[in-house]
Amino acid sequence: MMNLVVLVRNLRRSLLQIESRILQAAGLDRQQAPALALNGPSLLPQPQQEQELEDQQPPGVLDSILWMAVPKKRRTIEVNRTRRRSETKLIKVKNNIEPCPECGHLKQKHVLCGFCYRKVCKETALIRQQINAMEGGPLRAPTVETVVLYEGETPSQQDKDKRIVERPRKRPAWFS
Amino acid sequence: MRLTLQMLISHGRVARKMGLGPESRINMLRNLLTGLVRHERIETIYTRADEVRFYAEKLIDYAKKGDTDEKAMKMASFWLTEKDLVPKLFKVLAPRFETQTHSYTRMARLPNRENLDRAKMAVLEYKGNPFPPLYPVKKKNKLTLINQLLKGYREERAQQAAGKGVGN
Repeated sequence: MMNLVVLVRNLRRSLLQIESRILQAAGLDRQQAPALALNGPSLLPQPQQEQELEDQQPPGVLDSILWMAVPKKRRTIEVNRTRRRSETKLIKVKNNIEPCPECGHLKQKHVLCGFCYRKVCKETALIRQQINAMEGGPLRAPTVETVVLYEGETPSQQDKDKRIVERPRKRPAWFS
Repeated sequence: MRLTLQMLISHGRVARKMGLGPESRINMLRNLLTGLVRHERIETIYTRADEVRFYAEKLIDYAKKGDTDEKAMKMASFWLTEKDLVPKLFKVLAPRFETQTHSYTRMARLPNRENLDRAKMAVLEYKGNPFPPLYPVKKKNKLTLINQLLKGYREERAQQAAGKGVGN
């Protein structure tokens, strides 16, 4: 008889202890006064506030992301067309192109005709080949003027002291 | 070094930068000038031809001072890297431009280079060179119809004037 009562008392005590422990774990025991009066922060940690702090990222980055410039609406094709075809973006028309009076190829007014210049280049290249053959080697520039004579031409009074370079062809019409 | 706005903005600065620095620029111009004196007509990039033009004309001015002048000889030997061109400068180019005071060179723009860079090209030559001219000389053709008609008109007027003179 006595053992049963003691058993029941122990059971009740243990159940109450379990309940109080559960309540403590759940954090619902604030109505109860603590067993010991302690100075300081509450025993249980408060995880929810920390999580809230962590959810909010460092304020600088988030603020700027939230405030970045972004188009509000899709640009219509009409607006796009006016921007793409504005005067500054189109290729400008050149009105300084004219035909060369000598050969008829097109040239710009302030630039030499490409065809006529190529012609002159070829002739000068042949003259220079002749000069190199006459000099016979590098670094032998003469100390007299040079004059170019074509087939059937004799040196005139002015060409007396000059080095004569002979080209075995008829004088071209464009070479005075 | 003070990093000022003046260093970043180049408004109104006329001196050109070429090559790796001022020394490199002078070396490049010296090579171009030697080539010009040797060949009397060269084809380069427009800005380089423009820079060389000043030095080419100054070199002729120095050459005009004469063979014996020490400063002129020093300048010529510095600027012409190939030493066989120094006598050519003093004996051929200086006498050629004796009567002229300025503008010994002629620069003309060429169509852009065919490469990917499409660089602005120019041809630079000393006047009086033996090669064919860049600008073709326009010859007046006396045998065109208009010229023949004008010739006939001039002869008629001369005859009328002679007739009147005889009559009076």
